[in-house]
Amino acid sequence: MKAPYYIEILAANGDVQQRQRIDSLPIRIGRGYGNDFILDDAHTAAEHAMVEDDGEGGLLLRDLGSHNGVIHAGARRLEVALTGNTIVRLGHTRLRVRGADQPVAPERSDTTMHGWEGTRPAVAGLAMIAVSAAFANWLGDAENFEPISYLMIIAYAMAGGLVWASIWAVANRLFGQTARFGRHLFIIGCGLVAMEAWELASSMAAYALSLEALTAYGRHMFIVIVCAMVYFHLCTIKPQHPRRFALVSTVLAIVGSTLILLSNLQASGRLADELYMPLLYPPVLRVSPDHPTEALFKEVQSLQKGVDSERGKGGSGDEESEDDGEE
Amino acid sequence: MKFSTLALLLAGLCAASAQAAPPAAPAAPAASSPPAVKPPPATAAPAATEHAALPPPSSAAQKLYTAARADILQVRVLLKNGRTQSSVGSGFLIGTGDLVVTNYHVVSQFALDPDTYVGEWVDTSGKRGNVELLAVDVLHDLAVVRVSRHGTGFFKMPAQLAELTQGQYLYSMGNPLDLGFAISEGAYNGVVTRSFYDQLMFTGPINSGMSGGPSVTAGGDVAGINVSKRLDGELVSFLVPARYAQQLLAQAAQLVKPPRDFKPVVTAQLLAHQDAMLARLLETPLSLKAMGPYRVPVRESEQMRCWGRSNVKADKPYTIDNTSCAMESAIFISGALQTGQVSMRHEFLRSSELGALRFAELASASFKNESFGTYKSAHLTGPHCTEQFVKNATLPLRAVVCVRAYRKFPGLYDFALLAASTDEPLMNLQSRIDARGVSYANGLRVTRTFLEALTRTPSARLAGKP
Repeated sequence: MKAPYYIEILAANGDVQQRQRIDSLPIRIGRGYGNDFILDDAHTAAEHAMVEDDGEGGLLLRDLGSHNGVIHAGARRLEVALTGNTIVRLGHTRLRVRGADQPVAPERSDTTMHGWEGTRPAVAGLAMIAVSAAFANWLGDAENFEPISYLMIIAYAMAGGLVWASIWAVANRLFGQTARFGRHLFIIGCGLVAMEAWELASSMAAYALSLEALTAYGRHMFIVIVCAMVYFHLCTIKPQHPRRFALVSTVLAIVGSTLILLSNLQASGRLADELYMPLLYPPVLRVSPDHPTEALFKEVQSLQKGVDSERGKGGSGDEESEDDGEE
Repeated sequence: MKFSTLALLLAGLCAASAQAAPPAAPAAPAASSPPAVKPPPATAAPAATEHAALPPPSSAAQKLYTAARADILQVRVLLKNGRTQSSVGSGFLIGTGDLVVTNYHVVSQFALDPDTYVGEWVDTSGKRGNVELLAVDVLHDLAVVRVSRHGTGFFKMPAQLAELTQGQYLYSMGNPLDLGFAISEGAYNGVVTRSFYDQLMFTGPINSGMSGGPSVTAGGDVAGINVSKRLDGELVSFLVPARYAQQLLAQAAQLVKPPRDFKPVVTAQLLAHQDAMLARLLETPLSLKAMGPYRVPVRESEQMRCWGRSNVKADKPYTIDNTSCAMESAIFISGALQTGQVSMRHEFLRSSELGALRFAELASASFKNESFGTYKSAHLTGPHCTEQFVKNATLPLRAVVCVRAYRKFPGLYDFALLAASTDEPLMNLQSRIDARGVSYANGLRVTRTFLEALTRTPSARLAGKP
């Protein structure tokens, strides 16, 4: 290892918090002002350790008789041979020593769109939030036109989006360097538009092609969209770990879907969200054919086996409770 | 002035019995309007004002009560554990024998659940003993029990029953609200055919706890058995005609050994009922009513009444018309289960202002808002459904059929068919038929008949105002 040497204090996640250049060996480390590298850590001794040449071109860190000692790989050592990647702990301080000849990773290609930061994605995000909220309101609004209802729903949606983006921006500022508020706002805007588009497109496809499963299990797609949003938020904070974040989001999606399935099972005794497909779209959308009524009643006939086998199992309900929901 | 006093007294009574009624007491059927209600066998804690509810008896009533008091009983249902009373009703001894006629709904708990409940009788002198259930008739709401004492012969059931004329005085006896034995006076007002099985209309006070008690003529002939009253009316009460009690007594007399479990008996009676009910419902083609360009099947009869509703005056961009037909009575099985009923409903939705997409959302929201019951019920299984796009002779439809089975009564099912027209972008007909407590074959038949009967007239106008 070649001079000059660099002593680096590391955070728990491996980030360098402090780095100091030392030109020659030995390097004395400790809390006292007579040291080459001063530790601001109450759990270290005034003269805690020393880095020396081991005579073979490597470095050796030696404990100078401190009370808390030198910890490497979980065990207390009197001497630790240092390579550029050896991390030792003195008191509460994690540090490593690197020489000038330490190899570094190759340059990473920059995938960040630096032009798409700040106001522009923020405005785009807010616009998408407003549009999706207004569209959802318009679609479900069978009353006479009331401008105030649109203004209210847009205001609430934007406020919600701003709060969501703010939380991610704070996290971004904590774990990255900048807040990137505009980017986070853009992500939630995209998420809401995706949900709205999925809702409409999946309903229409389900109706057109008679794909009942699309509505019966449609809620899982919302979980997927939310988890995709979380993935992009995380990647905005730390662009260097896309694989790790993809894994986290996938696990989240699986957990969310499982919770939905279990709560459906508990509430209604089936995994699907809906008992039947509650959609009625205009006839022009229909692709699947009409069946004769015999086909339907053949299906009904085949229900008897299932319903009879459930009969034998006995209900979980209260004997005296009124059987609700008949009306 | 008089009217308001009466209303107040009734309200006070209802409130008192509602508040004091145990959760086990049969609740009012929540379904159709207006409600005909079995008086729940009440265990009301007496309040001083409640005595005023019964008008003072006339001298005829005094004589009758004196003669009959030895033969009227209170019939109680007790929990086997602890022998605390779960519900109470009345009954009366026939002739000099040990048979007592009462209502099925008084004894339904120990008929269906003999492991948890037992019956007990108490007479006017305070003596008590066990009752043994011999026969039930759930369709007419009657039961015959055997008690451990004999009658004095006051209540007779001669082969030739007394003729009744409208306006004639009848005297109803029983133990209202568990307050003590009472007699009340009223007038016979003919046979009502609204419920599936004939009942006599009695214009006089019948209260909870008098269920199963006798109503007699001034001469002492049994005219009927107290069964229910209308909560929305004044002194509108109902009696089961004595001839049905006579038939059940004849059955009970021939009985060698009563069944321990009455569920198969009840099942057989319900199966017979649904056969008769659907035969009567479908004996003639369903009548068709126009809703926009559609023709919808309904059945209006003595037992089935239709009601309509519309929002056409409301200032909304769409209009919605409703027709619903329902039987006004159901067969009482237990406090939480009434069945043997058919109801149908049509909803016609149209708009010229909303546009196809928003109209589709509106129609979908209305189609979504349908319940087929919970799987947690102790009486019925969860709904098993199938759905399809179908086309009958004239109309393409989206149809959903759901079936539930009765857990304790094998062979009985609830059928529900939900159908929505799919032929117009700005017009939608949604229809639903519910057949409760029917056999599988009959359920298939009635839902199919209903689905086939939904039609569209060929010369239909397109979307727009009717």
